[in-house]
Amino acid sequence: MSFGFMIGVFGVLILAHAAYSTIQYRSLLKILEEEFSGLPMNVVGELLLGLVFCMWAALTVPGKFLSILPYSEENRIVSLPDNLDFMVFNHRGKVFPSKMDLKLKR
Amino acid sequence: MVGAVEEAQLNRLENQVDNGGGGAWEYLCLVRKLKVRRSEKVLKHGLSILNDPKQRSKLGGEEWTLYEQVAIAAMDCQCVDIAKDCINALQRKFPESMRVGRLKGMLLEARGSWKDAEVAYSSLLEDNPLDQVIQKRRVAMAKAQGNISGAIECLNKYLEIFMADHEAWRELAEIYVSLQMYKQAAFCYEELILCQPLVPLYHLAYADVLYTLGGLENLQMSKKYYASTIDLTGGKNTRALFGICLCSAAIAQLSKGRNKEDKDSSELHTLAAKTLEKEYKQRSLTKLPLLTATLRNLKLPS
Repeated sequence: MSFGFMIGVFGVLILAHAAYSTIQYRSLLKILEEEFSGLPMNVVGELLLGLVFCMWAALTVPGKFLSILPYSEENRIVSLPDNLDFMVFNHRGKVFPSKMDLKLKR
Repeated sequence: MVGAVEEAQLNRLENQVDNGGGGAWEYLCLVRKLKVRRSEKVLKHGLSILNDPKQRSKLGGEEWTLYEQVAIAAMDCQCVDIAKDCINALQRKFPESMRVGRLKGMLLEARGSWKDAEVAYSSLLEDNPLDQVIQKRRVAMAKAQGNISGAIECLNKYLEIFMADHEAWRELAEIYVSLQMYKQAAFCYEELILCQPLVPLYHLAYADVLYTLGGLENLQMSKKYYASTIDLTGGKNTRALFGICLCSAAIAQLSKGRNKEDKDSSELHTLAAKTLEKEYKQRSLTKLPLLTATLRNLKLPS
């Protein structure tokens, strides 16, 4: 398993832990009979950390990014395919028979 | 479409195979994928694979694709006997196949017996009247016999049914250009640009046709299409750069009497000329004086 994938798993675990802590915090508030106003700082920090890890894993694990620019070296079209469906055998090559004497052996 | 990276890979593989470095099968696959016409090489290397039972059995089912590829290459090289042997092998494997029937028709074409080929194609079309490849073969056959007007008629009829076939549009455009019927060719290229707007070569060809047609309006249009070619290729297309310079010179000459706005366009051709000079400096320094002389003779407006 790759390093990026491990980071992703770790990120998901952190997020799950954050969710668990939030539930615990709310049940604690219920016992103390206080209003829920916001998450405690450490849970927010945990959430952000998990988000960063998951994002990083999602961007690195599936593969490399391909260029979408039409003029990048991978996408730049330099020639059209020869129109093979309209290939004509009656061309000037006919006058110059090839010197190869090849045979298909059976 | 052949990209820059793919072209480099093809050339590298071709070199390697020609010098006996192996990788013939990869080369043949790439040729098939990019749809380039390297019949002589395909014939040579394909046959060497087919004649070697050990290599051939390694291909598995792909063996039959190779037979087809070699058969077509052999017809292109006028080696009718080899083509016939390949087709016979395919016939034994797939007795009822349409594709083999098509190859047989092509073999008759390569022999020059047009009547028989026509009969063969007609009988195949009876079974399957919407077979695109066979209809295209009929166009090619008309062209091979020198019956260009017949080919145009046939192709137009074909395009009425299969309007989205860009290869056919391209063929029609090229036939029209060869007959100097530029208005019709321009229409075909418009159709192609609509079909595949991101292919710079269609923009380039359309611009060429418009420039050839002449007239102030066409020239201005052509300049725009040269500019879009440059946009799509990142300025790597030399022909488009030259096109901008030529168009600017021609427009300046036509609109000499009436001094028009066109302030921004002067910037365009100076930029194009500069890029051309830079490219020549990088790639072929010996031809740089020739380029500067040519650009000076164009008398570009500044």
